[in-house]
Amino acid sequence: MRGVRRRWPVRSLVLSAGLVVALAGCSKAGDGDKPAASPRDAVLEAWKSAKLTPSPLVPATVAFAKDCQSGTVEGIEVLLCSFPSPDEAKAAEDPGLTWVGAATGASQAHGRVLVAVADRKKADPSGRTINRLLKLAPN
Amino acid sequence: MPRSIAQGAPGVTGIRSTALVALIIASAVVALVGASASLHAAGGKQVRYVGIHPVPKAEGSGICYIEGPHVHIFDADKLQYRDHRGASYFVGDPVAYGYDGPRYAYKGHHPIHVSAVIGDAEPDDEYCYLNGPHYHYFAPVEGPEFQLAGDAYFYVGEPPRVYVDARPAMMKINAVYQPLVYERPVITVDAPSGWIGARAEFAAPVVVVEPPRAAAVIAAPSVSVHAVVPAPSLHIGVGIGIGVGAGVVVHERPPAVIVRERPVIIEQRVRVKHGRGGRH
Repeated sequence: MRGVRRRWPVRSLVLSAGLVVALAGCSKAGDGDKPAASPRDAVLEAWKSAKLTPSPLVPATVAFAKDCQSGTVEGIEVLLCSFPSPDEAKAAEDPGLTWVGAATGASQAHGRVLVAVADRKKADPSGRTINRLLKLAPN
Repeated sequence: MPRSIAQGAPGVTGIRSTALVALIIASAVVALVGASASLHAAGGKQVRYVGIHPVPKAEGSGICYIEGPHVHIFDADKLQYRDHRGASYFVGDPVAYGYDGPRYAYKGHHPIHVSAVIGDAEPDDEYCYLNGPHYHYFAPVEGPEFQLAGDAYFYVGEPPRVYVDARPAMMKINAVYQPLVYERPVITVDAPSGWIGARAEFAAPVVVVEPPRAAAVIAAPSVSVHAVVPAPSLHIGVGIGIGVGAGVVVHERPPAVIVRERPVIIEQRVRVKHGRGGRH
């Protein structure tokens, strides 16, 4: 009996250790539950890294996309729409110009994100800021 | 008592008043048409552009530095822009409008490989018809069709028919740049062999004068040159084009042969005819 009694704790320890390791692994994987940076976030981060200051984005309703947010950067209106695929974002470039309207602006797909900018207040008469916004957005 | 001009002569006053009113009305109409056109341009019609380009005075002037596809609500003219897949692409000299970025000096006409400049996959070769030294914001694609001499690019390739066909109309771009005062590149080196500006078949149309002493007077903003070429017993046409900082000369006359003088940037074009008009 002693032998048996000795073995069981050992087995329990091994099993427990295995369980802990497994759980730890799960727990480590669980850190990924925190949503990874979305392509839209990547665009915002790229702008911030270049010392541009986007305002907080708010949900925007447009006819050509379902997941859009808008805000301003350096006085320029921006619209960031996420699409399931780069092709769909590309296809939304022309419709995106309807959002630009009667202003200097652009609508470009960068990967799965459509980046549309509109200088409605003529805050960027030389277009330099718009150029930076578009060039900084990752593909 | 002296009568003022405004008063006019008796009996004529009414006519002058009527004329004055008509003039005012006409001016108002012109102003309204202009304003209407301006409003129309700003009224929401998007015009697509690609690449940097000047901004019209009415829209604030200066340069738009957006390199990729974008839109404005003002139009592009036909001489300084070419169509690139539905977007207007500027082929003029941006420095003339205040461009302060990297620049590359060119002399004379040359192709522009638009897709290489803007980085898209749509092959599109356009042509710059600016005479003499000028700038672009891009260097040409490396290859045998351009030669770099004295920090300036010279086109030494074989221009296609489309360049020749469009030249009479597109050469008018030089009239746009002639009055513009800006720092043009100074190119003092000899043009390399094969430069388009030194080839008779692509010489700009110039003045033709009858023998025995052919002469041509060139009108430049601040330069006038009188050239005399003795040519007994031959039918000769002579033209001189001078690339001087202040401007560019556009001649609308039959083509002629080029003879170059050094070191000043001068082009003499001489056409010699024998019998039934053979050219040499």
